[in-house]
Amino acid sequence: MAEPYMRVKGLEKKFGPFTALGGVDLEVHAGEVHALLGDNGAGKSTLIKILAGVHQPTAGQIYIEGKPANFRTPRDASAAGIGTVYQDLALNQLMSVTRNFFMGRELKNAFGMLKMNEMDKIAHDEMLKIGIDFSDPTQAVGTMSGGQRQTLAIARAIYFGAKVLILDEPTSALGQKQQMGVLKTIQKVRKRGDIGIIFITHNEIHSRLIADRFTFLALGKVIGEGTQETLDHNEIRRLMAGGAEMADLEQELASV
Amino acid sequence: MVDRNESDRLASESWLQRTVRKPEIGSFIVMVVIIIALFIASDWKAFNALGLKNNVAIIAQFGIIATGAAILMIAGEFDLSIGSMIGFAGMSMAMMLKWGLPFGMGEATPFAAFIITLAMTLSIGWFIGFVVVRSGLSSFIVTLAFLFLMRGVTEVSFRLINQSTQISGLPDYKENSWFANILGGEVFGWFYDAWYKLGQWLTAGTEWPARLPNESINYLALLNINRRLEQWVEGFDARFMWWLVISAVAWFIMSRTQLGNWIYATGDNKEAARANGVPVNAVKIGLFMFTAFCATMFAACQVFDTNTSDAAKGNLMELFAIAIAVVGGTLMTGGFGSILGVVFGAITVGLVSNAVFFIPSIDGAWFRVFLGGILLAAVFANERIRKRITGGI
Repeated sequence: MAEPYMRVKGLEKKFGPFTALGGVDLEVHAGEVHALLGDNGAGKSTLIKILAGVHQPTAGQIYIEGKPANFRTPRDASAAGIGTVYQDLALNQLMSVTRNFFMGRELKNAFGMLKMNEMDKIAHDEMLKIGIDFSDPTQAVGTMSGGQRQTLAIARAIYFGAKVLILDEPTSALGQKQQMGVLKTIQKVRKRGDIGIIFITHNEIHSRLIADRFTFLALGKVIGEGTQETLDHNEIRRLMAGGAEMADLEQELASV
Repeated sequence: MVDRNESDRLASESWLQRTVRKPEIGSFIVMVVIIIALFIASDWKAFNALGLKNNVAIIAQFGIIATGAAILMIAGEFDLSIGSMIGFAGMSMAMMLKWGLPFGMGEATPFAAFIITLAMTLSIGWFIGFVVVRSGLSSFIVTLAFLFLMRGVTEVSFRLINQSTQISGLPDYKENSWFANILGGEVFGWFYDAWYKLGQWLTAGTEWPARLPNESINYLALLNINRRLEQWVEGFDARFMWWLVISAVAWFIMSRTQLGNWIYATGDNKEAARANGVPVNAVKIGLFMFTAFCATMFAACQVFDTNTSDAAKGNLMELFAIAIAVVGGTLMTGGFGSILGVVFGAITVGLVSNAVFFIPSIDGAWFRVFLGGILLAAVFANERIRKRITGGI
């Protein structure tokens, strides 16, 4: 197996006496979707915040293409090719698609003026590549649907050089049809072959539809991992519930 | 119908629809109505040669501070210290001109008085911004503290050093100092020269102004000609130019530059802006310094125009600035606003506040009734715009 684009070894994070992550290993390969599953409070958010450079790990190491990498700021992470699409998408609702697309990385001419036409065109073309034809890049993001916003955030991360795309519950809080749209977008990104995706979700069906590799977190530790081939439906369910057996739960419920 | 997507549901709008939906359209319409009403109600006096100069002077004053307040509001913060900052800056400049530079550095030139004052006000602006971003407290309360603090400091300093809360009878610096002249002198003299030339040409060899039917209208005043048939008004107050410069630069920054993008983003969704690498705190601190700069320009134009200062100068100006920003279409919650709208708002509010001088029969307090009314209407209109953009309507 080729060296993964990103490898995480023994990652630990403590907030004072509280251990949020207790030694997590993870591999992300280009062209693969790696589903990261776990219950609320399992440490998913802490993990992605470390990968995105928001938090620094207490122990453990991140390797990018085999070389150790330390992210002190979100900028470091993004320079190393980690693109994070947060649940709130980091979008400014009142501002246009283009202005959001280039937020913080605006194209300027020699006089410091924004190259609005060029930016409009790039935003439009990049979004078209992964799914939606956006007729009007001057439209405010607030008027877009949740799925379109997700696409915008993903297109932005890819355009600015993401080699690992972290998607934090991209399908939650969306309608059924929009969820399918986002999955299609993820599939398109996967098909490019040069980008690895970390797909965080609560939804077992979505992860089965699209993921190549699975990692299950519970209480800050990896409680199981595998690939599409090695894991079956029931096993995924069991691990998602934090390792509890469905049968046990049924028994418990019956005894109440 | 598989290829049908969500963006198809967004009807493309005609030019007219787009124009009607612009944030500044409301303030533009109100402005036009006010201008026409004032033309008629004042028997053209509000727009004769002197009337225009006086109106533009007050409009420019409002416009300068409202621009600062509006941009800060777009970035999601308030500054209630603008009025006190005006008083402070005016006091500082007049006191240095009268009593010399601090620490016995000798006589103050207008330039030195201005620069030292600007250094102080910018530092205070920086400090206010620093306190707001570091504490995470509402800028409303932090700047309210500075409203009292600086007004108090201004009065106390006046009494300690000057024994009186007023300074008057300073020499007319405009005559010798080019610097005092560009702040307090007159500008755009060519405009009034041309107006006078036109007036001469229209009245040449005629006696028609005297024979016109409507007695209440002074046709010579409308033609920039005084009773001795000389040029009546020479130019606008210099603050007109400063208002135009500040507004133009603000418009350019907000609509055409990266910094403008960052300012909008800071007020819209601070966390999103930060996640995308926008230095949110620096943007805010910089804008508190910008409002301090606008207040200082306001004060400097006043001091060098009238050669006086008073501890009460600038009182309530922070509220006028905020009101004009809102009337101009700026959202109280930040992230949205238009410099052009603020220009229209300043013209509207300036004209109405001055209207009593041209229509003596009305009670001046109607100005506040009017301002309260359009402010309320503007808040509702702005809220509607915000809801439409964020998908509420």
